[in-house]
Amino acid sequence: MSEEPVDVLIIGAGAAGAAIAWSLAETRMRIVCLEQGGWMNPAEYPTTRNDWEMERFGAYGFSPNGRGRRDDYPVNDDESPIKVSNFNAVGGSTILYAAHFPRFHPSDFRVKSLDGVADDWPIDYATLEPFYDVNAEMMGVAGLAGDPAYPPKQPPLPPVPLGKLGETLAKGFNELGWHWWPSDSAIATQEHRGRAACINLGPCLIGCAQGAKGSTDVTYWPAAVREGVELRTHCRVREITLDEGGLANGASYIDEHGDEQHQAAEIVVLACNGVGTPRLLLNSKSRRFPDGLANSSGLVGRNLMFHPYAMVTGVFDERLEGYKGPTGCSIISQEFYETDASRGFLRGYSFEMLRGMGPVMTALWGMSMGRLPWGAEHHAAYDDIWDRTAGMVVICEDLPEPENRVTLDPEIVDADGIPAPKINYRLSKNSRKMLDHAVARGTEVLEAAGARETRAEAPLPPAGWHLMGTARMGSDSAASVVDPHGRCHDVKNLFIVDGSVFVTSGGVNPTNTLQAIALYVADYIKQNLETLLD
Amino acid sequence: MPDDALPQEIFSAVLDTLIPARDESLPGAGSLGIGAIVEPKLGGFVRLVAAALAALDALARERSGVPFAQLPVEERAPLVGEVDASHPGFVESLVYNAYTGYYQDPRVAVALGLKSEPPHPGGYELEMGDLGLLAAVRRREKLYREL
Repeated sequence: MSEEPVDVLIIGAGAAGAAIAWSLAETRMRIVCLEQGGWMNPAEYPTTRNDWEMERFGAYGFSPNGRGRRDDYPVNDDESPIKVSNFNAVGGSTILYAAHFPRFHPSDFRVKSLDGVADDWPIDYATLEPFYDVNAEMMGVAGLAGDPAYPPKQPPLPPVPLGKLGETLAKGFNELGWHWWPSDSAIATQEHRGRAACINLGPCLIGCAQGAKGSTDVTYWPAAVREGVELRTHCRVREITLDEGGLANGASYIDEHGDEQHQAAEIVVLACNGVGTPRLLLNSKSRRFPDGLANSSGLVGRNLMFHPYAMVTGVFDERLEGYKGPTGCSIISQEFYETDASRGFLRGYSFEMLRGMGPVMTALWGMSMGRLPWGAEHHAAYDDIWDRTAGMVVICEDLPEPENRVTLDPEIVDADGIPAPKINYRLSKNSRKMLDHAVARGTEVLEAAGARETRAEAPLPPAGWHLMGTARMGSDSAASVVDPHGRCHDVKNLFIVDGSVFVTSGGVNPTNTLQAIALYVADYIKQNLETLLD
Repeated sequence: MPDDALPQEIFSAVLDTLIPARDESLPGAGSLGIGAIVEPKLGGFVRLVAAALAALDALARERSGVPFAQLPVEERAPLVGEVDASHPGFVESLVYNAYTGYYQDPRVAVALGLKSEPPHPGGYELEMGDLGLLAAVRRREKLYREL
């Protein structure tokens, strides 16, 4: 069965798909987006119930393999120390992200030139800067101007509150003379574009019932749909199809009723992120592309980058009110972001401070640390840690390596029988050294802030939130999958706008940058519409 | 009572032993009714727990001449430990679910200084904090590399 052709077909309604859909809508082209998940209902998010903390281990868990949702697809990550964390719905992984929203730094685009490793991007900070600004307004970024770790920028909303916890940790950084700054956060600290203001619920990672967190189901999508974009949910794409001339002519998909469909299109945009995008390209084999669509370079799926994470937690004497406020957004430190070869590794990392834990997570953390006995001593032991923990995650820059990759699993398929992705990933020596350095420095700063005890874990296994590099951008078609405008070298009407086009990973959360790229690619398409397919 | 249902009086007493009364206003986990959350989550461990509960009661009667549930709280813990040694996994199978069930109870939340309601829609007030602490950071040279 075939449907009326459209001008633009976008696959994936997450962070990037939403941004490009909204930006292209002003052209009045007919735009359709296919999304394998559905709309989330914030009124059903766990924070509306007393058992909210346990949902992290159930329907709102990080791993698609454990949630039991039909909208997800399985990921074989057995051969990776870092496990994939994503979400499939309108809004994609922004439904569960912390909304920590830093930009890349200028140096992140010039890694080869500056530090002699990996590759330079074919675009730079200045290229993306205007799109970062647009994205800040659309996503509602809270922050504070004047951060010496960045070129000047002006977040549109005031920063998230430090609270007692943030202040305590900030004093630790000051004690050591290290950088810190209120986090750039996609959290509406005031009413913003129809979104309610944050009321400091705490657990942003299981969906924001308040609607204050900038997930794209409440930011870009309402605006894009209002502008005429058609968003079809519960539609899972099987493959991108080609015409006889080798141009993409649409996509085959399974609709919400389980029926096979084909949507014809003039332009196809892939926005399924660093695992979903290579999976779809590799599943789109043809006589012309026997190794997967747009894969003449052999690089589709290769150079997978996560951000290796560490977590360092401190126990303090005073109560910190850590259960209040956005769980992942407080303050950030980039003291060790830029390369200093004397540290024994290249590139660097960010510290992102975490709020404290709720009652259940406090108990489970106490159990896992072997410090919460049952019996007569239980309550004293619990009170010793309840609301007295604070900590940080470390986000290490991951460098691209071809052996770290996404392929198709030979056996595992999703609910519609489509082959699932398989991850092969190993932690590099550079990352290991960086993690060790970060744990030592993180421990140091927590102690400076007054922690009487610290615990660390590195790498953090369930922290595969950031999925990058598997359809990298470049000018050389033999060494990259897409050109500097996100267009596939091999298929000139196929664009990719998600984390898979990243050349390097930076040491910060990638959502802001991948959305800025989506807006930049949209701008290129709009500026060149008449000649785009010549 | 179904064949695989646990004897509630002793089950509750065991939960009260694992998480005792916090103070006079907040009884132990069993008395709070947390058993209703724990029991359905035992899965395949329910037979182990049933056997351990029976052994526990028998031990209490043998040692003290009363059922386990009638023992003073301070006398229960050693027996639980003893039975756990002879029924490996008994306590472990209960503790995780007892903790998670107990600490999501609204009455416990109040005892910890929280509201009894879930976070939404009430939320929390949170102070901005002292942004003057940034003065030292503001005085620093730029940290990013110019290209």
